[in-house]
Amino acid sequence: MPDPVSFVPPIGPTPAPHGLRTDRPAPAPDPSAALPALPQTGPDQVALIIDGQAVVVPKGTTVLEAAAQAGILVPHYCYHPGLSVAGNCRMCLIEIEKMPKLQIGCATTATPGMVVRTRTPRVVETRKGIQEFLLINHPLDCPICDQAGECRLQQYEADYGKGYSRFTEEKVHHPKRYDIGRHVKFDAERCIKCTRCVRFCDEVSGTHELTLVERGDHAIIGTFPGKSLDNAYSGNTVDICPVGALTWSPFRFKSRVWFLKNTPSVCTACARGCNVDVATYRNRIHRLTPRVNMEVNRYWMCDDGRRSHEALYERPRLERPLLRAACGEGPQQPGTRDEAIDRAVTVLREAGAGAVAAIVSARLTLEDLYMARRVLMETLGIDRIVVPPHEAGQDDDLLIRRDRTPNARGALIAGLGTPDAARLRELAQDIAAGRVQGLVVVGEDPVGDGLIAADALRRQQALVVIDWWRSPTAEAAQVALPACGYGEHDGTVVNFEGRAQRLRTATRPPGEAEPAWRLLQSIGQACGLAAAHDSAAGILGEAARSVPAIAGLSAQTMGTAGVLLQGR
Amino acid sequence: MAFEPLLTRNIHKENPASIATYLASGGYQGLARVLKEFTPEAFVEEVKNSGLRGRGGAGFPCGVKWGFLPKGLDRPRYLCVNADESEPGTFKDRLLIEKDPHLVLEGIIASAYAIRCSLAFFYIRGEFHGPCRTFERAIEEARAKGFLGKNILGSGFDLDLIVYRGAGAYICGEETALLESLEGKRGLPRIKPPFPAVVGLYGCPTIINNVETLANVTLIAERGAAWFAGIGRPKNTGPKLFCLSGHVKRPGVFEAPLGIPLLELIHEHAGGMLHPDRPLKAAVPGGSSMKILPAAKCDVLMDFDSLAAVGTALGSAGGFVMDTSVCIVDALLNLARFYAHESCGQCTPCREGTGWFVKILTRLENGDGKPGDVDLLAEVASRVEGNTICPFGEAIAWPVQSYVAAFRDEFESHVTRRACPLGAAAGRS
Amino acid sequence: MSLPVRPETDRQIDTLLTRFPRKGSALLPALHLIQGEKGHIPEEAMEYVAGKIGVSPAFVMGVVSFYTMFQRAPIGRHHIQVCMTLPCALRGAGGVMKHLEKRLGIRRGQTTSDGRFTLSAVECLGTCDTAPMFQVNEDEHGHLDAKKVDAILERLK
Repeated sequence: MPDPVSFVPPIGPTPAPHGLRTDRPAPAPDPSAALPALPQTGPDQVALIIDGQAVVVPKGTTVLEAAAQAGILVPHYCYHPGLSVAGNCRMCLIEIEKMPKLQIGCATTATPGMVVRTRTPRVVETRKGIQEFLLINHPLDCPICDQAGECRLQQYEADYGKGYSRFTEEKVHHPKRYDIGRHVKFDAERCIKCTRCVRFCDEVSGTHELTLVERGDHAIIGTFPGKSLDNAYSGNTVDICPVGALTWSPFRFKSRVWFLKNTPSVCTACARGCNVDVATYRNRIHRLTPRVNMEVNRYWMCDDGRRSHEALYERPRLERPLLRAACGEGPQQPGTRDEAIDRAVTVLREAGAGAVAAIVSARLTLEDLYMARRVLMETLGIDRIVVPPHEAGQDDDLLIRRDRTPNARGALIAGLGTPDAARLRELAQDIAAGRVQGLVVVGEDPVGDGLIAADALRRQQALVVIDWWRSPTAEAAQVALPACGYGEHDGTVVNFEGRAQRLRTATRPPGEAEPAWRLLQSIGQACGLAAAHDSAAGILGEAARSVPAIAGLSAQTMGTAGVLLQGR
Repeated sequence: MAFEPLLTRNIHKENPASIATYLASGGYQGLARVLKEFTPEAFVEEVKNSGLRGRGGAGFPCGVKWGFLPKGLDRPRYLCVNADESEPGTFKDRLLIEKDPHLVLEGIIASAYAIRCSLAFFYIRGEFHGPCRTFERAIEEARAKGFLGKNILGSGFDLDLIVYRGAGAYICGEETALLESLEGKRGLPRIKPPFPAVVGLYGCPTIINNVETLANVTLIAERGAAWFAGIGRPKNTGPKLFCLSGHVKRPGVFEAPLGIPLLELIHEHAGGMLHPDRPLKAAVPGGSSMKILPAAKCDVLMDFDSLAAVGTALGSAGGFVMDTSVCIVDALLNLARFYAHESCGQCTPCREGTGWFVKILTRLENGDGKPGDVDLLAEVASRVEGNTICPFGEAIAWPVQSYVAAFRDEFESHVTRRACPLGAAAGRS
Repeated sequence: MSLPVRPETDRQIDTLLTRFPRKGSALLPALHLIQGEKGHIPEEAMEYVAGKIGVSPAFVMGVVSFYTMFQRAPIGRHHIQVCMTLPCALRGAGGVMKHLEKRLGIRRGQTTSDGRFTLSAVECLGTCDTAPMFQVNEDEHGHLDAKKVDAILERLK
């Protein structure tokens, strides 16, 4: 693999094929060097020579993909591994021995003994030509364009272009910066007509909203008049647009991409657990973009997931413990951590384990849930623990799951049961009827969700709430403990298929917020629990030793792609 | 020079398009002979042996193309007749369609038989309203007489023919764009390979043949490959329809064997130059996409190989002639506008390059040329040629390259004089 | 639910849907039928035919906007399409166009205010031996000069 050149920023979340970075290209191989011998191949393999290097690939592989497997980047715009081949940008034209014209690597199947050269003077000149053509009608928007820094046109101009243009006339003008969809802005002048977005809507989302209209250099992307790009996956067109023609409106002008740090993590908006990159700058999450995982989400994520971090900045946070003497009496007052833990333990003991119930969220991590069981169930003796379901719509045939919690499987694995609407309704009735005296709520907002009346909670003897925001439930609490929100702590979530994946810390939590497991552990310790973990890894290690379903699970075994649990 | 009209044998008759006229002069006997005496494969060989090369513009040997069809019959085969005639300067197919539709139709049926096709399509450009109606009438007549439909002439061969109208797009004359249009989509050329003979209409093996090519198949059906191969020259066999237009006295379609001298076409068949005091300046022998011949190079034979040898091509044989009143830069600007309008816009070099040529040439013609512009034209053309999905790239690159090469001084003088030396010229509006 | 086309056209389109091995091929003939009835193809007709063929409205718009013969807005009763490509230009197409613009008082691409004429510049119509020429709706008129043009305009009500 070529070494990264430090002054060239890597192309950001736009998925580079097969993990290749579009770094400054290595010098061309010596054309006079003898060709290597072709290696032996199996019945379903093909051996060919690319830039003097022997390469063995599965039958049917295109020359472009074969080159990528050999670590050689053939530049391209319209090709995308998740879409059909269009072959229209012509950037991947390369030399193939015995063929007089240059051939597009994306559409040429590798044949045995093929000799390919991707960096001859002829190819170099052709790429300069293509770059020049792409730029003659392209507006000089770089200073105001969100794509700058992760723009393929910019990157390829630096790597393969002439660096100047001979075009001196008026460019073709088209509509600029209009809302082609609720979340997507379109600038038709920047568009290079690669048709990735059209192919995405035809082949992946299956919604067919986009088309090319007109022809020649007046051809532009558009929707049917009056209709817009509003499928559940519209954000993916922004990811795959090689230039700044399609941009994500919530991210517009928020940050330059070279300031963003990407932390690999997982989306928590539903049970799919799409792999994502969490992009942060100055301790703020600016966007989520899909990370390639062929087993989970391939190249995509849905719009709801893409926006799922925004709540962190729209809802009021719990930043320090809040206390009140008794439920329903007076305002909450800030207190110290020790005061809060003590108060929580006291009120729960007074209510008595038999009269206390817990509502624990399937949005929590496996570490949080494991500690919830150890503390609430085993240490405090609360045996009525309910996991609320959060469901919407149906499973679609792409990524979105009806189950909008990221870790229902984790709740089951942790021994807390599965999300159960009936049990939740019973609990709500018992609370309303006064048959439950105390409640611990971790990561849920039953008041805001309309399941339990705030009045009923005010009559509780004990109400301890652990959450990341000041939900209506947290505001009714006797003890409200501030927890980490998305991206503020490490943890494990298990998706609907039983794949355990890693959430990673991308930002510092505000104020005194900390992982829910740590707050629970403190409560447990105050009741005699012999546990003193200072990291999620430690808890996972203990859980992996005691819960057969996750035997051997660790951050290492999950890596960045997650791991399917055995006997899921 | 007189010779037996073959393709144009009926066009001057009364009611030339009617089946009665056609039958009266021995029409459909070629088809009958083929159905009786040849297996489909044998007739493919016959057409191969005739040396017939496609008359649409590419000049590819017809029988060889038919031979590319895969052997299996698990998927249906289709024959698409390319009647999209849109190459500027070309009007020979419409002559056949209007004046001798049955000559074409008989060739279609014989060809469909040869390639084992039972459903054929006649893709005709949308603007040919009259020719389309004439051809549809001819189809009805043929059906009524049993030359189309089930069990044609008792041979067991079935053929249905659907007429499909285009809607105004030159690019749909490119065979894969034609298929896309036939499938009800934008006429965007496809990446080749795979070739239509293997993956064509609806993904099935498909042959696309030009109207005039199929009319020649009728002749081969009637009189055989050896006879056909005796017309013209080796590898350039058969009669040919040549179009001549522009600055000639009698523009029109002229039939002659392949290999007739261009100057004979101009001065004898087309009556010579339009204005006696304006001699020949240049000729485009084969439709606007082919490289221009300055007058000094016009002493050339009109066939595939002879024209290739002097650096141009026969193309669609849609020749036109320019006299000394023509500003070559203006003429090229006119063509550049044509190609910019007709570019489908799919691939980068053609989409952007065609528009760029118009802009550079407009500046040149308006006196805003800069030093280096002429080289720029040629250089940009070389960045288009060979790099596009379909031959449209060559179709614009070749005129630009050849007009600049043959008339460089004229281009340069637009720059140095900062004006068009000829002022109002061809196409100026 | 009212159809954007006459029932007869709707029936003809239904027939087209079964004429081809693949339904998609019916799109161009259907668009010709719609334009034949209405003179142009309004957006509601595009949505209607999209539903018939089983493609998205955007797809139909892509097709309609690709082909120059399809009109998306009403045009004059007589559509004068003047060929401007080189073989006709060599024989005076520019002059014919200028003459028409003067006579009709409109520029190419426009329609007269009484809705009688639309004037268009078009590319090669494949009848270069009759240059200069124009096509009015479906009829070709060649070997034009100013007098001939005026005579033709006179006859077109």
